[in-house]
Amino acid sequence: MTISTDKPGAAVAEQLLKQSEADAGATPMDAVLDAACAGRFTDDRCFRLLARLWTLKRMMYYVYGGWAQGINLNEYPPAVAYLFGKQTHDESTQEMQLCDEMLRRGWAPTQKQLFAHPYAQFGTATRTGSYIFCLRALANYPQNIRIAAHNLGPKVIELAWTEKFAKLIPDEAMHALFHSQLAETRSHVLMGRFQVEKFVAKEVDAELARRLCAETRRDYLFFLEETARFVLGLEEENAGEVTVSADID
Amino acid sequence: MASLKIDHAKCTECRMCYVVCREIDINAVVVSPTSQHLFEIDERCIYPQCTVCLMYCPAEGSIVETDTGRSMVPPPPEVWTENRRWPRLP
Repeated sequence: MTISTDKPGAAVAEQLLKQSEADAGATPMDAVLDAACAGRFTDDRCFRLLARLWTLKRMMYYVYGGWAQGINLNEYPPAVAYLFGKQTHDESTQEMQLCDEMLRRGWAPTQKQLFAHPYAQFGTATRTGSYIFCLRALANYPQNIRIAAHNLGPKVIELAWTEKFAKLIPDEAMHALFHSQLAETRSHVLMGRFQVEKFVAKEVDAELARRLCAETRRDYLFFLEETARFVLGLEEENAGEVTVSADID
Repeated sequence: MASLKIDHAKCTECRMCYVVCREIDINAVVVSPTSQHLFEIDERCIYPQCTVCLMYCPAEGSIVETDTGRSMVPPPPEVWTENRRWPRLP
């Protein structure tokens, strides 16, 4: 029996993970967590946070819908399609959890009314919109490239801040919510590593993955910045004020 | 008052109960905040006034009456009436 351990993309996977972990060290969500730990997390701030996170998770249906249209055209083994289905299912579960928590706290009587609440509205001319359209545009690339860009980029950052929230947030229900989401988000990062190691083989693909991963990381950090400002009630940034770094050449 | 719960050994987590419960604005089916993310039915459930989840659940025995442990999937004949399949809320 021959056991294949071919990992042509191991180096690029390692590189992307390291860059994303560096970006994840400090994010705008730290300010939100600091406020929560200092007892400055009012019901309204909590609602704002959950509503913004819910909005993003809802929009992932739109993103993954676009990606799914091309997945059968590619030359990948069934594992790739399976993992994509699993990831779509996981995002849906997390979206449902965020919605459940807001309804449980009585901030809206029904899901339908929550959709209409200003805190949970999706706006196209926002950083959330910019990030979502950035992800949706990845539909133009093959699945290995978009998974590299997303799962080894924003997902690494999401995992890092979720871990901090799961560890430190004082509110019991919020702690349970974030803690319960860790396994899925961690799984997405590992799925990303697996797929990049196995299926990003050509140098042109590796270069594309690096560039697109840098872009998605940058746009996700902008989304976090917007979310933190919204939660904490800070004014919108002025032009040129935001200093999120990204290593796009 | 009687209530329903999910038998996790039999539930396939197809999410139909969640979807239909949301659709009629009762929102009693929730995802538990645990890493297993099991589905649960909370106190907002108005059973026996509503049995819509039973009508769409595909997994035999996966929704049971809390008090009696009686399987409600497939739905027994007494709940198979028009006004209880889709509840008439005030």
